[in-house]
Amino acid sequence: MNQLLRTDFLGIEVKSPLVLPAGIMDMSYSGMAIAARNGAGMVTSKSFTLEARTGHKGPVVAECEGGILNCMGLCNPGIKEGLREVEQFRKNCETPVIVSVFATSSQDFITLTEHVNNSPADFLELNLSCPNVYDEFGIPLAASPGQVSSIVRAVKSIAQMPVIAKLSPNTPDILPIARAAEDAGADALCLINTLGPGMLIDIRMVRPVLYNKFGGLSGPCLKPVALRLIYQVCCEVRIPVIGTGGVQCGEDAIEMLMAGASLVGVGTAVYIRGIEVFSAINREIAVFMKERNYRNLAEIPKLKDHLDRMVQDNEE
Amino acid sequence: MQKSPSLKIILTEWYRIMKSKRLILPINRIVRECRDVNTYFFSHQLEAKPGQFVMVTDYEGGEKPFSLADSTTAEFAITVKRVGQFTSRLFQKKAGEYLALRGPYGSSFFICPHRVLLVGGGYGTPPLYFLTRKLLEAGSEVIVVNGARSGDDLIFCEKFRALEVNYHNITQSGCLDRKGTAVDLARELMNTIKFDFIYAAGPEPMLKALQEIVKDTEYQFLMERYMKCAIGICGSCTMDPLGIRLCVEGPVLSRLQIEQLSEFGHYHRDATGARIYFNNGQGFHD
Repeated sequence: MNQLLRTDFLGIEVKSPLVLPAGIMDMSYSGMAIAARNGAGMVTSKSFTLEARTGHKGPVVAECEGGILNCMGLCNPGIKEGLREVEQFRKNCETPVIVSVFATSSQDFITLTEHVNNSPADFLELNLSCPNVYDEFGIPLAASPGQVSSIVRAVKSIAQMPVIAKLSPNTPDILPIARAAEDAGADALCLINTLGPGMLIDIRMVRPVLYNKFGGLSGPCLKPVALRLIYQVCCEVRIPVIGTGGVQCGEDAIEMLMAGASLVGVGTAVYIRGIEVFSAINREIAVFMKERNYRNLAEIPKLKDHLDRMVQDNEE
Repeated sequence: MQKSPSLKIILTEWYRIMKSKRLILPINRIVRECRDVNTYFFSHQLEAKPGQFVMVTDYEGGEKPFSLADSTTAEFAITVKRVGQFTSRLFQKKAGEYLALRGPYGSSFFICPHRVLLVGGGYGTPPLYFLTRKLLEAGSEVIVVNGARSGDDLIFCEKFRALEVNYHNITQSGCLDRKGTAVDLARELMNTIKFDFIYAAGPEPMLKALQEIVKDTEYQFLMERYMKCAIGICGSCTMDPLGIRLCVEGPVLSRLQIEQLSEFGHYHRDATGARIYFNNGQGFHD
């Protein structure tokens, strides 16, 4: 593995800044392992709920110009069965693993955290922002600073591993929410979840293409929104951020890092460029770093620092 | 920042493929194969290979994968077994009604131009018909074993008989030519004839039994797993421990892959991702 790409995230060494985000190829240990073998520095499990869920009826995905709409609907085998897959992943693979959990109340998040405490998870991610279950659960928790704060605080009081809050782009102002998560003790943030939700219409049959009508948008079209939110949040909070949303190539990943992200999620690109996308992006990042003589990821300038320095230079 | 030219090509190609894979087509005609099995024909040139599949929905809840029973320059066909709500709705459709399809997806059979054995079990047989046509075009010597529980469940007999192949029926009830399983007959044939390649499609216990009697011959099996996205991202159909996504790297898998799959013949996953064991056994024992 390329030494250029090694980095440290909350005290754990990762061989690449690329992260397999929740919901991509992670229904089984072997799906996560194949991403790790192909170059992901860290993998995330499917978002587990207390009980098993079959998710929405199909069609659950629809491709569109620039991205994919999905409404998987949090299908998962439940936390107990899910953590067995994580255990089996750990037996097969040393890559750090984030366990993602979804609930709608502090109490359920606490129960889930107790389960994760007894698992080989390296990190716990709170999915506060699934956009595909509005009908069932209402507006995501990540829309309210107060709720984000109380849930993160509750989970942090018992979690035995670092806690990552996954936030939603679907809110008028993300900054109070990011601050609320940080103040409540979150160790890191992951942004962004899918955008929207959006919809597509089959004009010949006059039906919504997704059975759930609406689905979260991911893919290349997401990147500008993700970059803006990551940049804004990274200017405000001191905890590290996993930047995800629309990354297709090494240049996109560098943009995420410059916006302030410490690690970079790669999800929908698996569909567009195949499972080899992780090694391809690793290679592309390394090529860029060599061109610019960056010896490690920390030397890649953060946009905020760069702009601040320019202002300082002008003043002098 | 400028994207590398190669990625621009990848994205442009992706848009083109994405557009071409979405189809809204009327059912051209419906052929009844047996009590609970219909074949649906669509007038469209799909440019598919044997073994590949399409996702089909009526937008009433549910989108399911179906292997192609045939695909020509004029039309393609899927064969549907009535098993649940979704397929029951398909059985109420009439010619002229529309369905939304996407595909073709997945891997296809290798075309071996020598002496080959095809083993079909139950409703797994239809994709082998498409394969047989392509094998004959390539000049292969084709021997087909078509097995089913009873004569009522046996499908595609006439279609195979209309082709230039050495064709055998076998049923567990013994009501037709032979009594036994497709694997029994395959074993007999393999004992007397040297095959260059073996193809099979059918229930997984049948495939597992066949795998156990194949000695040195290369083979490919068409496999089934619960599929949702069909584009390799949701992970529903990954097979342990290789992480093979059956919708992308499958559904046709080769001997080298199958031999490494600990879950083959052992368990599969349901819509939640939970493991379901074929022998109804409990526990998490790989």
